[in-house]
Amino acid sequence: MNPTPPTASHQDAAVAIPATVTQPRFRFLRSPAIRRPATVIGLAMLLFFVLVAIFASRLEPFNPNVKSGAIYAPPSSHHLLGTDDAGADMLSLLIAGSRVSLIVGFAAALVAILIGGAVGLLSGFFGGRIDSILMRITDYVLVIPDIPLMIIVAALFGRHLLNIIIIIGAIYWTSTARLVRAQVKSVRERTYVKRVRAVGAGNSRLIGRHILPQVAPLLIANTVLMVAVAIFAETYITFLGLGDPSLISWGKLIENSFRGDATLNGAWWAIVAPGVCVTLVVLACTMVGQSMEDALNPRLRVGHLSVRRFRLRSIPADVE
Amino acid sequence: MRSADYVIKRVLFAVVTVFVAVTLNFVLFRAVPGDAVSALRCRACTQQFKEAERRELGLDKPLVAQYWLYVEGLLHGNMGSSLRTEQPVLGELWVPIANTMPMVILGTLFSIVIGILVGVTSAWRRDTLLDKTGLYTALGFYSMPTQWLGLLMVFFVAGAIHLPTSGIRDPTLGLLTHASTWAVIVDRLRHMALPSITLGLSLYGEYALITRSAMLETLGEDYVLTARAKGLRNLPIVWAHGFRNALLPIITLVALSLGTIIAGAITVEYVFSYPGIGLATVEAIDQRDWPVLQAIFLLLTLSVIVFNLVADLLYVKLDPRVVDQ
Amino acid sequence: MIRPMRMATMVVALAVLAAGCSGKKAVTTPSSSGSAAVKKGGILRIGTTSAIDSLNPYNYIETQATNAMIMIYPQLVQYAHGPDGFTIVGDFADSWSTSTDGKDLTFKLKPNAKWSDGQALTADDAAWTINTTVKYQNGPTAEMASALTHVKSADASDASTLVIHYDAPVGNALAQLEQLWILPRHVWEPLIGTNGHDLKTFHPEQHLPMVVGGAYSVKQYEKKGTTEFIPNPNFYGPKSYAEAVTLTYYTNSDSMIADLEHGQLDWVDQVPFNAVNPLTKDTSIVIDKVPGSETTNITWNSNPRKLKNRELLDPQVKKALSMCVDRDQIISVVFSGYASKVESLVGDISPLENPNLGPLQHDCAGGNATLDQLGYTKGSDGIRVVPATTGQYAQPAHPMSYEIVTPTTTDFNVDREFDIVKQGFAAAGVKVTQKVGGDSTASYALETDDNCDASTSTGYAHFDIAMWDWAGYIDPDFMLSVVTKGQWCSWSDTGWDNPAYDKLYDQQGATVDPEARKQIVYQMQQMIYDNWLYTQLINEQYIDAHSKTWIGIDADLNAYAKTYYTAVHQTG
Repeated sequence: MNPTPPTASHQDAAVAIPATVTQPRFRFLRSPAIRRPATVIGLAMLLFFVLVAIFASRLEPFNPNVKSGAIYAPPSSHHLLGTDDAGADMLSLLIAGSRVSLIVGFAAALVAILIGGAVGLLSGFFGGRIDSILMRITDYVLVIPDIPLMIIVAALFGRHLLNIIIIIGAIYWTSTARLVRAQVKSVRERTYVKRVRAVGAGNSRLIGRHILPQVAPLLIANTVLMVAVAIFAETYITFLGLGDPSLISWGKLIENSFRGDATLNGAWWAIVAPGVCVTLVVLACTMVGQSMEDALNPRLRVGHLSVRRFRLRSIPADVE
Repeated sequence: MRSADYVIKRVLFAVVTVFVAVTLNFVLFRAVPGDAVSALRCRACTQQFKEAERRELGLDKPLVAQYWLYVEGLLHGNMGSSLRTEQPVLGELWVPIANTMPMVILGTLFSIVIGILVGVTSAWRRDTLLDKTGLYTALGFYSMPTQWLGLLMVFFVAGAIHLPTSGIRDPTLGLLTHASTWAVIVDRLRHMALPSITLGLSLYGEYALITRSAMLETLGEDYVLTARAKGLRNLPIVWAHGFRNALLPIITLVALSLGTIIAGAITVEYVFSYPGIGLATVEAIDQRDWPVLQAIFLLLTLSVIVFNLVADLLYVKLDPRVVDQ
Repeated sequence: MIRPMRMATMVVALAVLAAGCSGKKAVTTPSSSGSAAVKKGGILRIGTTSAIDSLNPYNYIETQATNAMIMIYPQLVQYAHGPDGFTIVGDFADSWSTSTDGKDLTFKLKPNAKWSDGQALTADDAAWTINTTVKYQNGPTAEMASALTHVKSADASDASTLVIHYDAPVGNALAQLEQLWILPRHVWEPLIGTNGHDLKTFHPEQHLPMVVGGAYSVKQYEKKGTTEFIPNPNFYGPKSYAEAVTLTYYTNSDSMIADLEHGQLDWVDQVPFNAVNPLTKDTSIVIDKVPGSETTNITWNSNPRKLKNRELLDPQVKKALSMCVDRDQIISVVFSGYASKVESLVGDISPLENPNLGPLQHDCAGGNATLDQLGYTKGSDGIRVVPATTGQYAQPAHPMSYEIVTPTTTDFNVDREFDIVKQGFAAAGVKVTQKVGGDSTASYALETDDNCDASTSTGYAHFDIAMWDWAGYIDPDFMLSVVTKGQWCSWSDTGWDNPAYDKLYDQQGATVDPEARKQIVYQMQQMIYDNWLYTQLINEQYIDAHSKTWIGIDADLNAYAKTYYTAVHQTG
């Protein structure tokens, strides 16, 4: 038993990564991990929410921005999930909220992946001084507590959706960077890459043609996990009153139920519904992302992503 | 590498990290438009008055000089003064910190106990219904926003078992008559119960999963097989061999998460009006009281760094192999 | 310090009193409900969502602090509330008289009074407090100095006689003095130092037991927790029926109301609007609704030197946009119906509110017609465009798209109110976005700019619109002052600069004849209305709820009188 050492500086959780590169690129799709029921269910849930978000404006039975019923009307055939503290239809709000929440999730994940991917690629590919400097930076970023940093940046620089996306993205790139770096290192050692280099291919060509495609599946798995982290973080920031005031997100709906005294009014529907959506999406992302990573690299199990985040680091595997 | 070298390396890393954190803290708060003085507002706040205040706080000096002033202040335990109360920040934060600690510790203990029980049971009964139920329940709690879990507690649990949902103590306790120490402790515990349970539920999933996978690895190893071959019954094996060996990852994980749990308790405190560091954070945000926010951020970062170091040192103590890496 | 909720009570009123007639003894029997026997004792447990931020009269913001200071410090006079409304009565003063030139006010104080530590409480303490406050009024004591306008000095001719000297007759001197808290000289004098700075930074609540002269002393203080008041045995007035009063702060009104319903609390002194309806179902709870002092508004930057979006200086434009705002919806969504429309800045609480203003009609078609007429045609995106202008404040053509500053420290859901205003403006072809300003101080800073300086007319250059609330007073003097140039960078949130109005303001302050003053005050309100400094939205109701086991609660007296706590007692 030799789990991954805990801190950033035990150089590399990732050292333990074996050369998955010996597999053809998408063979992981045939791995048993991918075909677990959990994965399929997770994927279905994720797809469902993505579709809802895409067709949000057509699915909303009412305009979520205006009063369409009594304040805190209980669920009925008219308002399937009741209404909130402003008399707006809860179902419509949830549908509208799915859009913002998923946009935050995917966009922030994208930012994280871009930064992390770039750092990892540079680090793994060039090695040496660049590698040690970048990895040192990564070590430091890992230690900064994420939630307080998000709170502070949001408080200092304003409550806009874009700010929130950038903050979340800029905090969660470290695990991606380390994974990608390890992967790149092992790809780089492969003989054909050496040969290509000997032939005189430029670095950018090498990265674009030979390395990126190899690390892509891992990046995708990472993105899916990151979406969950970002959606989660958004609810957190929003709950503290630092969300974008002009947008409806699930986090905002949870906040509204708190500020609008839903408990007192017995309006369980206003409290329960948005949290269930967040939980389901986070669960789905975790299951899918985890299975993909397991499939890509069965040995990457215990705490291979950052184990130091308060919540929602990648879950130790074995959920089968 | 000798283990002394390793320890020195880790400590050095922690020290440098503290320095980085302090610098980041300085830079972040200087990047905000305006400064502490421009936030002042009063009838007598003329431009001359503000200039004088700036001089007094050293805000007219070049940034580098201000940075050294800040570091020097920190070395003397001076984190500045609250913009609102004009009192030293550290003094203002002392009570909230003291309030938060027991609640967080209780919550963490709760999560560790539940997490380990669920994890061990799951590993022991691998692939049974019990295992699956335990796993998915843990995963479910793990995926819930903490603040939402808190709201559910207030709505569905608090009323049913008559636990307070707000504050840290009964306002009338000991007001006119002397309250016994025991009564005070019971009252505190009652007020801590819901926030601690909320925190514990949101954390235990992680411990359960890590315990389970560490156990499974251990249970697969040779000596457990030997023990089994010797005819030891299942449960003793699980505890005697499996769990003892699975302790290492669990302990390091716990040490690692301790530093960040306090930060995670912010929304819990907000939901339950628990007057700790989380509520102080919310208030500082609301009042744009930057020095307080800055100090809270620094303290939270320090706690993460310290617990990381503890985890590192524990690790080397428990598993000397790590030094060889 | 701005727009505190029901802050330091009112400036006042009742010009009759100002004219110098003699005061009468404090009326201490509140308009109590029923004639149940008075039962002494018990702990009165109050829940609140507003914290006592400080017990230093030179440095506080919240209403709850005002209330606490009324309980613990002696005042010369206080308000009482009866069938005829509010009247001024004595507190530490038994009677008073004005000199014939109107410049000297003489108070006869209660003899043989003591501070809670046994030291004598005399006219000397009052004179010292007044003189010190006046001396540092441009610095640390500015806050309380607003109760002492035109005061030159005060002296104690004997232990129970106080004379206050004014440099000019003041129309509402007594109402102002209601906000003067008399401090124990032996505690506060050492704080003066060289510049009085410590007067403002001193935290009396950190030095328990506090030396008090009022009805209660503070046994424990927790800003975000529970503050305990216990009766001061040396109090000169009618003592508290309750054995102790606790005030517990809640961030979460759900928990507060639940505690009231479960008998953990006896009294919630301001029920959040969302909580009123569920509470009405509980038969063990009594709910009192009284007209509130707070009005909410849309605040328009009216600084004539404002840089951008100068079309918003045009009253026609502001009125047209306001006509699209559905105030009925605000009342039902934001205030659960517990509010009414209001037109004047001084609010319904003031007997001098001008009843002839407006009223503003919800007529969006009319509003759109005005904007069309002004030539602000709609662009392809449905947002109106203001054509380019020339001259000193030339600006290019630009869409009517603005930011609205909102504070976070309102007792109602300002986000919801903003949503309704936003929908109304959108119907007029105007786009607005919300800029969350933080607490009062932070939001106020956004309005005035960092470099605000009245002497050079710097400031109020950037913001366009804000949404906020004002807590009005019985006497309209204070509310009328907030739009004067004299309040620039202080209480002014519109940046208005109108010398004609300022002149009227000074005039009403010195007018002793009630009818004459009323006419001036009406005229001033008309000017504020016609210039659309604010779009007045609603006047809140003030709602409190308490257990049936306690009586003698008079919601009207919140932050007005010591009897607000002392007269409350359990049913026999």
